[in-house]
Amino acid sequence: MKLAVMSCIHGNYEALNAVLSDIDRHKTDQIYCLGDLVGYGPHPNAVVEMIRSLDIPTCQGCWDEDIVDGLNACDCSYPSQLAEKRGKQAHEWTDQVIHPEVREYLANLPITLQAENLAFVHGSPNSQHEYLLPSMDGFAALERVLSTGADVLFCGHTHVPYVRDLEGGKLSMRVHQPGQAETQKQSTVSLKRIINAGSVGEPRHGRPNATYVLYDTDSKQVTLREVPYDYQKTCLAIVEQGLPPIFAWRLARGMEFAERADDPNHVCQR
Amino acid sequence: MEQWAILSGIEGNLVAYEALLDDIRRQRDSVAELYVLGDVVGLKGDNRAVVQRLQSPRTGELEPQVCIGWWEEQCFNLYLLGGLPDAPELIAQEGADTAQHLFESVSRESVEWMRSLHFGFHELDCLLIHGSTVGYADELTPDMPAIQLCDRLIRADAKNLFCGRSGLAFECWIEPSDLCSTIVTLEGTQAPKEQGRSPRRVVGVGNVGRILGQATYTLYNPANNHITFKTVKYGKAKGFALQGSQSQHGHESPDIRASR
Ligand SMILES: [Zn+2]
Ligand SMILES: [Zn+2]
Repeated sequence: MKLAVMSCIHGNYEALNAVLSDIDRHKTDQIYCLGDLVGYGPHPNAVVEMIRSLDIPTCQGCWDEDIVDGLNACDCSYPSQLAEKRGKQAHEWTDQVIHPEVREYLANLPITLQAENLAFVHGSPNSQHEYLLPSMDGFAALERVLSTGADVLFCGHTHVPYVRDLEGGKLSMRVHQPGQAETQKQSTVSLKRIINAGSVGEPRHGRPNATYVLYDTDSKQVTLREVPYDYQKTCLAIVEQGLPPIFAWRLARGMEFAERADDPNHVCQR
Repeated sequence: MEQWAILSGIEGNLVAYEALLDDIRRQRDSVAELYVLGDVVGLKGDNRAVVQRLQSPRTGELEPQVCIGWWEEQCFNLYLLGGLPDAPELIAQEGADTAQHLFESVSRESVEWMRSLHFGFHELDCLLIHGSTVGYADELTPDMPAIQLCDRLIRADAKNLFCGRSGLAFECWIEPSDLCSTIVTLEGTQAPKEQGRSPRRVVGVGNVGRILGQATYTLYNPANNHITFKTVKYGKAKGFALQGSQSQHGHESPDIRASR
């Protein structure tokens, strides 16, 4: 079976259309979406309506959660204070324009989806706000996959696509408890994989093209797709809607504006 | 060599705590630090007295370094100093009557004092905490899958993770090795990296107050990385215990080499 997995559309209808056309050309059997349908971009309602009309199984992203629950975000939601301020503006704008049925749809999205040996989450199985960066400690990454019971974990949220294979990990454990004999255990973990789908509507890999992934469940082959589209249209709409122009600036460059997460390993406590 | 005494779960049991302090005084190697990893209050004892005892150590006694535990979090909820006003965890675990009882057994001032405590302590290559950095309710036990304990150690960013949530006394060495990590991005395939780490340890420090007549705690020697679990038997009758508490030396763990 051929799957297409996308994430982080962020109200960018142009990019979504381009990706859907690219998916069409690849004749996939099933599309999955990893959330962040809204936020930053100018067309949150249209994006949600498109995903709904196509019946695409979708999990809840960090922005979808915040639009529903209100911005009680812990600092971890934003890589810096500046980003937080702009994020708040985008949140308020989105909060005002989204239709009640769209809000309701976002509220009812599941946190994780599972299909056989595949699991789908927005950030990590722990939280929509946790970043699974490729630089994360391999055993910590392995724990995230194992916690789902799946062999392949699809995630988004970082806006930069990657595939990470984790193979041959060994864990030995020696336990001593008072009054009991010492015990020892050793285990080897079979190949696990993390596939980050990148971002359709707010890419940060250094180019403006939309990104998503194709996955063949039989051959286990992953293809990272990069799809050009008319991003200028979205940039114009961002400015016209009165959203912070910096969103248009960085969309045109495919980058996070000089902002890096202070502590990518931080786990949101809320 | 100077050691640390590390304990958790006094749970309002002042008699047990006093017996333990007596035992600490009797140690051949002096104890330089006293860590209390949360749950100083509970349902059965005298919470006010224990809080007061911790707040004002007597002359010549160590200043206890106390962090927040599960029961303290429940107090924050009940006194509206925390995130969950209706204390759902407490009600689910112990029932609504218990919530009322806990509320009445502590003063607002002592809850405010608890609120000023740390979530945990990072000292040398050790993290001392009630649950784990995942949360105060995270219960680490030796029965947990090794990968989860490994994850908690990575998150703790420490070679020794001392915790108290389970109430168990245990040490669990975890050694991750031989993991081959390969990353493919849009720019191509990065050279595979082999990941592994030197063994690290999760230590359950025992529980002071839960079992009447028997308090367990942990002695740690940072110089040689050696752990000793101590069990202190004390008389159950109040008043008697203060003078009559007797120490029984706990099972001594075998020598463990320093991990670095
Ligand atoms: Zn996103
Ligand atoms: Zn996100």
